[in-house]
Amino acid sequence: MSTDLNLVPTGGPLTKNSSWRERFGGLGGNARQYGIFAALVVIILLFQGMTGGRLLYPDNVAALINQNAYVMVLAIGMVMVIIAGHIDLSVGSVVATIGGVTAISIHDWGLSWWLAVLLALVLGAVVGAWQGFWIAYVGIPAFIVTLAGMLIFRGLALAIVSQSIPVLDPTFNGIMANSLPNFLGRLGDADILTLVIGALLILTTIWAQMRSRSALRDHNLAVEAVGVFVAKIVLAALGIGVVTWLLSRSTGGTPIALAICAVLIVAYTFIMGRTVFGRHIYAIGGNRQAARLSGVSTRSVDFWIFVNIGVLAGLTGVIVTSRLGTALAAAGNGFELDAIAACFIGGAAVTGGIGRISGAIVGALIMGVLNQGLSIMGVDPSWTQVIKGLVLLLAVAYDLVSKRRAGTQ
Amino acid sequence: MGVAQGPLLTMHGISKRFGAVEALTDVDLEVHAHEVVALIGDNAAGKSTLAKIVAGALTPDSGLIEINGEAVTIPTPAAAYNLGIATVFQDFALCENLDVTANLFLGREMHGALRRSDEEMERITREVLDRLASRIPSARTPLGSLSAGQRQSVAIARTLIGSPRIVVLDEPTASLSVGQTAEVLTHIERLREMGLGIILISHNMTDVRAVSDRIEVLRLGRNNGSFVTQHASYEEIIAAITGAPRADALRHPTGATLSAVS
Ligand SMILES: Nc1ncnc2c1ncn2[C@@H]1O[C@H](COP(=O)(O)OP(=O)(O)OP(=O)(O)O)[C@@H](O)[C@H]1O
Ligand SMILES: [Mg+2]
Repeated sequence: MSTDLNLVPTGGPLTKNSSWRERFGGLGGNARQYGIFAALVVIILLFQGMTGGRLLYPDNVAALINQNAYVMVLAIGMVMVIIAGHIDLSVGSVVATIGGVTAISIHDWGLSWWLAVLLALVLGAVVGAWQGFWIAYVGIPAFIVTLAGMLIFRGLALAIVSQSIPVLDPTFNGIMANSLPNFLGRLGDADILTLVIGALLILTTIWAQMRSRSALRDHNLAVEAVGVFVAKIVLAALGIGVVTWLLSRSTGGTPIALAICAVLIVAYTFIMGRTVFGRHIYAIGGNRQAARLSGVSTRSVDFWIFVNIGVLAGLTGVIVTSRLGTALAAAGNGFELDAIAACFIGGAAVTGGIGRISGAIVGALIMGVLNQGLSIMGVDPSWTQVIKGLVLLLAVAYDLVSKRRAGTQ
Repeated sequence: MGVAQGPLLTMHGISKRFGAVEALTDVDLEVHAHEVVALIGDNAAGKSTLAKIVAGALTPDSGLIEINGEAVTIPTPAAAYNLGIATVFQDFALCENLDVTANLFLGREMHGALRRSDEEMERITREVLDRLASRIPSARTPLGSLSAGQRQSVAIARTLIGSPRIVVLDEPTASLSVGQTAEVLTHIERLREMGLGIILISHNMTDVRAVSDRIEVLRLGRNNGSFVTQHASYEEIIAAITGAPRADALRHPTGATLSAVS
């Protein structure tokens, strides 16, 4: 017996004698995750049929991504906040304030586009630090602090923007209007750059999956059954492939907004799944007191997740201002609700401790596809709201019922 | 090894109040290497409060703490871990949404430059669980789906991570089966053989008498007797716990005095 970390291996190769439960344990945890992906595919196919194939016109796919980039970016920050057991009601107002300052910095102060973007991100961090301070170090519930923030920053947005400020910088507006340059030319009607990016993504996915599988093997740990593993990779490759094929035939190719979202998704999936910080976010959401007693510095984790969502709200300010070519005092109205809904549709638990970046993104896409599909079908926007509300309710109800059936609270 | 002769942990004049409640008043405690000190006392005597102070979960209002003769402060649980103190809390502090491995290494995750070393942590977890002969199916089981006894095993397994010098166990056998309890007592003896200092808090006099070298009694937040386990009679200990004069307890070794220990 030794208390060192250098314990001598005792068991034999565990892959051989691991139990059924052990082999498929990971699968059970992911079942909800696969369900939400399946739901997205079903909804896409449904609307593809109902719109007579127009939903997946290449340019409509590009537009779908551009129109929903804001929800995806905010949902990434929001799902981290929700997993930690908090909520952020202020992001919509913060988007308006920072969008306003960004527009002023270009329009009145003559800042170059990239300085304006940098300023937006730094301001976002400052706003996040302000709210994080009250939440983490003073101990005021996030609900209250961000409710106050919702009022404060909407007021500030009205004060500095009054109604609207135009942005005339073509590069800044191009962030959302443009696609990655098609410098590789086109193959038939397909943008080659988009095809190359898609192929690289597929290869990276396969490589990453194989690597983590062989790491488990090296440590004599149980791995998924080969069939499940291969099916997972094939489905992922198929998904990326279809989107790549569609986008490559759109007018612009790969929207810059998609590139931004993709980088964020990969980076934050890594942070939440593979880093100590990510583990601590799940821990404080699961049992804050236990995490504290175990040596997690819960206050600094709380602080940094709010700084993080502040930065992402700053980025969203850029996205929205760039898309409209103008800053509006009313910008970002209701964004917090879109982001929160995306998280819960994507399987985050209201009580904290459970949720995923991929889930939140799929949740955002489900709402985006609903929006787009219904609007192509000419459904009145007021009914779109009703339908989105019902989807949120049903998604969470399904979650609760299936959990109860599985026997866990 | 001159230093090793002195106590590993010295607590002197520790006081702690919660509002009007004086949980601890001027309490002294010493733990040597190779020693199991049982800390016993009636409910609300202040045992857990003292354990939490050692664990860095509470800071004392006054008093001195020394480790190997050096004065230290233990402001946070992380500081306690760095000083080589491992604790099993009474309401074992675990996260139900995380798996066994994640709980074992919570707050002390192994990692590289960016990435956690999950595979390495899971491998060690399996070994630790094997050593404790715990009935836990897999290192990847979420805590939420374990029984109370299994969770307690996980809490105890946490003391095997890192290289602690002092282990504090607050009622570690409370919800364990006979077999598991024996396993934990053996574990405590192994820790002692390895030269650790152990504080064992328990209401179970059989366990206390089985493994401890010394018994320290707390009563209403004060020291109320110190016994060498081998030489202490049951009646003496009961009297110290309840505060009854020793002669009385000797004259009435059963009945009212005994029920106070429960
Ligand atoms: N966080 C707290 N806030 C207020 N009072 C507390 C707190 N923690 C402990 N106390 C009080 O301090 C006293 C000692 O409590 P403690 O938990 O140390 O007792 P104990 O000896 O561990 O009892 P038990 O055998 O029941 O576990 C009790 O009167 C308790 O009410
Ligand atoms: Mg106690």
